[in-house]
Parts: sequence; structure tokens; C-alpha cells
Amino acid sequence: MKPLVIRKLIVDERNELFDAQGMRLAVFPSVYEKIRDYAAEILADCPSAFREGSLLEQQLSEILKNGIKHGNRRDPRKKLRVWYDLRKRARFIVEDEGEGFAELDAWNDFYRRRQTALHEEDFDAFLAMASYRGPRSDEEDGGNSLVAALEYWNGGMIYNAARNKVGVVRWFTGGSGT
Amino acid sequence: MEWTVAEQGEGGVEIRIKGDCDLYHAPAFARDILAGIERGWRSVRVDAAELAYLDSTGVGAFIRILQALKSRGGRLSTRGLRGSPRRVIEMSNIIALLGDEGAGEVRR
Repeated sequence: MKPLVIRKLIVDERNELFDAQGMRLAVFPSVYEKIRDYAAEILADCPSAFREGSLLEQQLSEILKNGIKHGNRRDPRKKLRVWYDLRKRARFIVEDEGEGFAELDAWNDFYRRRQTALHEEDFDAFLAMASYRGPRSDEEDGGNSLVAALEYWNGGMIYNAARNKVGVVRWFTGGSGT
Repeated sequence: MEWTVAEQGEGGVEIRIKGDCDLYHAPAFARDILAGIERGWRSVRVDAAELAYLDSTGVGAFIRILQALKSRGGRLSTRGLRGSPRRVIEMSNIIALLGDEGAGEVRR
């Protein structure tokens, strides 16, 4: 049996992942239909070794989507600020103008129960809770982006105290960043 | 994203998906397949060999399809999952639920 792995979304206002010194900044209106275009624009000069097929674009798009859909509620008047640094690793800070991810603790509890069911091979229970539903979730939301994100961002995924800004980093082994 | 459905009788269907199953296209895909399940589909096999991109909305679509089938005593299987879409499924911890038949042995 595989070991039980339970990760957590962490709040740490002073975490070094929020140090934007030397990072580039892009600012976008919260237009849902352009999320993947924004990700492509940010990654235009990304080293190919970091892309891992479409994986980096997909994971960045998920963070942009969370900010635009859940944070800024798709209001194009509200901005999404994205700091990024693609030297040696892929590092991003994404800030929206919303009220913050209030259900962060509830999501951590959901994730713990989900992982425990998987570990115990209780697939009925796992499937029953395979999607997270918060107070504002719609049928397309499932918390799956965060499940994958916790594994993908192997250098950390940290929220600020207001929970409207997230810092992430992924290190690559064997890659050759610029 | 495109998908084609081949009905095989007795509630069995094979669905070939192609392109990007993403936040823009996955909701329509889910609605179409869920409608088929409402009409009586019970054994759904998804050929994902030409799936180029999958995001969390696409993962959510697979979960909703799986839940709908399971609640009706049906089953879902997948084959041809590879590359980035397979990694997304693996990182979402649902590969064990999808009746995965592996990345190879893809019919053309």
C-alpha cells in the first residue's frame, strides 16, 4: 500500500514566495474567455524544458482561473496581477481583487478526507467526495485544480493572510533553465 | 475539442475525444455525455488517444460522468491517456477510478 500523503494549503503572509523582487509583472482584466491566452502570453519566452508538454500552461491557467472566476467573479473591471520568473524554475505570484479564499480550511479538511479514503481503498467514499463543493461552487467546480496543484508546485504553494494572493514555485530536475 | 460517439448496443458506447478538454469545452462535453447516460448508456469507454490537453474542468467532467454511471450501476473505462492529460489525471488522484486500460493499444 502506498503511504498516506496529505498536503495542505498554507497561509503565510511573510513567506519568501511573496518576494517579487526581480520578477516581471503582467496585469490582466478578468476576462474568463482569455485565461488560456493570458497563460500563453506569460509563457511566451518559457524554456521548453519547463513546459513538460502542456503541463505548465495548464497549471498556470488553473491559478489564473481561480483568481478570475472565484476571486474577481469574472468582473473585467477587476485586475489580475501576475508576477513571474522563469529563470532556473517556474515561479509565480497571482493576486486578485476579491475577498479571499474563505473556504481554505474547509478545503484542507475535504482533501484530508479524500486522501484518507483513497489510502484505505474505499473507492465508493472517495468517489462520493471526489469533488469539493463550497458555498459558491458551481457544477463545474470540484477542487480538482488544487489537488493537482499541491503535487505540481513542488517548491510550495502559499496564500497571503487575505487569501487573495498565492505564490507558487516548481523546480525542475534535469531541466536547463536560462 | 471534438468527440464522436459510437453506440454499440445494450447501453454500451465508445467515445473518441480529440483536442482540448478545457474550461471552455469540457462543460458541453459533460452535458452531452450525461444526457446520454440519462437516455440509458451504462458502459462508456473513452478513447483519449487524441486528447491533447486536459484541465481541472475536464477532470471534473470525467468525475461527473463517473458518478452518474456508478449511481446507475454502470461503468466507465478509458484508454489511450498519455502525456500531459495523463499526468493531470494522475495528479488529481483519479486514475484508479477511470478503468484505465493504459496508454497503448490504441485503435486507429
